[in-house]
Amino acid sequence: MGNFTKGILKENPIFIIMLGLCPTLAVSTQVVNAIGMGVGVIFVLLGSNIFVSLLKNFIPEKVRIPSYIVIIASFVTMVDLFMQGYAPSLSKNLGVFVQLIVVNCIILGRAEAFAKKSNVKDAVLDALGMGVGFTLGLLLISLIREVLGSGTITLFAIGNFDGVIRLPGLSESPVRVMALAPGALLVIGYLKALFNWTEARRSKEATA
Amino acid sequence: MNDVVNVGGKLALICAVAAIALGLVNAVTAPAIDKVKEQQLSAALDAVRGTAEAGEERLVEGEPIVDGYYALVQDGTSAGYILRLTGTGYAGDMEILAAYRQDGEIKAVALMNNSETPGLGKEAEKPAYMEKYIGTGAGHPVPMNKQQLTQEEADAISGASITFMGIAQALKAGSDYVKEQLGK
Repeated sequence: MGNFTKGILKENPIFIIMLGLCPTLAVSTQVVNAIGMGVGVIFVLLGSNIFVSLLKNFIPEKVRIPSYIVIIASFVTMVDLFMQGYAPSLSKNLGVFVQLIVVNCIILGRAEAFAKKSNVKDAVLDALGMGVGFTLGLLLISLIREVLGSGTITLFAIGNFDGVIRLPGLSESPVRVMALAPGALLVIGYLKALFNWTEARRSKEATA
Repeated sequence: MNDVVNVGGKLALICAVAAIALGLVNAVTAPAIDKVKEQQLSAALDAVRGTAEAGEERLVEGEPIVDGYYALVQDGTSAGYILRLTGTGYAGDMEILAAYRQDGEIKAVALMNNSETPGLGKEAEKPAYMEKYIGTGAGHPVPMNKQQLTQEEADAISGASITFMGIAQALKAGSDYVKEQLGK
């Protein structure tokens, strides 16, 4: 169980391990993008962790990185094709960042640091934990950025509801910088500081 | 030598299995993707043609920006053209559909496939974004830089100037094409 829960807080990919920050900065402009990206990353992480773990005795040590990249890229391409076919608006919003999941360090990082030494069950738990942790981090950042930067919360459109919740006051005069790239860096920086602060307090309490 | 064959062979095997898996996924998703693309094109055509009827597409060869055009007909008379344009955006090519009057004036514009940044260049997909171009091309020049926009419009494209200029360049080229090649 620890293999699952560690990814959510204690080893959160975004705030603690600080991997996969590029897509995090780029797609956290809207909540719906964060959800889509999160689902994509969970699927790819799950697939690559399972296969790396299954093939750990087959893949020669010398070419392990190319092998991992082939496995990861295959799953990413599958996600990309399915999104283009069945979720075109999401695919349009995420654009090139779906393909860029290939180079999301968190996926190669988990393959190299965890899956290649673990059995399939642990690799699955690790992938789910890390994926959920990544998604939650992305959700938190995009929620802050979208609420402050555009005054909206964009979810999926269902029936008459167009999927956009507009917040009175903020949607007329949003803090534009939050929707731009500097806003992403600011939000991640403050959240990282918050994580460090709570971490430091907890360890102080433990020693006291 | 044996080692090279062993290592290379295993890597090739992994690649081959991956290729087969992707081929299968592609076979499943290709029809759905084609349908989505067709829907996008016909939706964009409907958005820009207004009340006129668009004919069959004619492809244009040897032009860097203009890829093809549809002749527009309203009540039996020619009512301009819809051009399919390729502009250069911040992150690669942008597919643009634009309707022109016969004198090269822009009537309507829609941005289709693009890789612009969500929240910035992607804002150009909203119909309101294109209003600054409409009515330009013949009497008024197509706005090519921020100085030619109102303060409010210039603020709205802040952070996405390259998208704005890419669309403007494509629309200008389309307008010139209508004037020089089609409008005669």
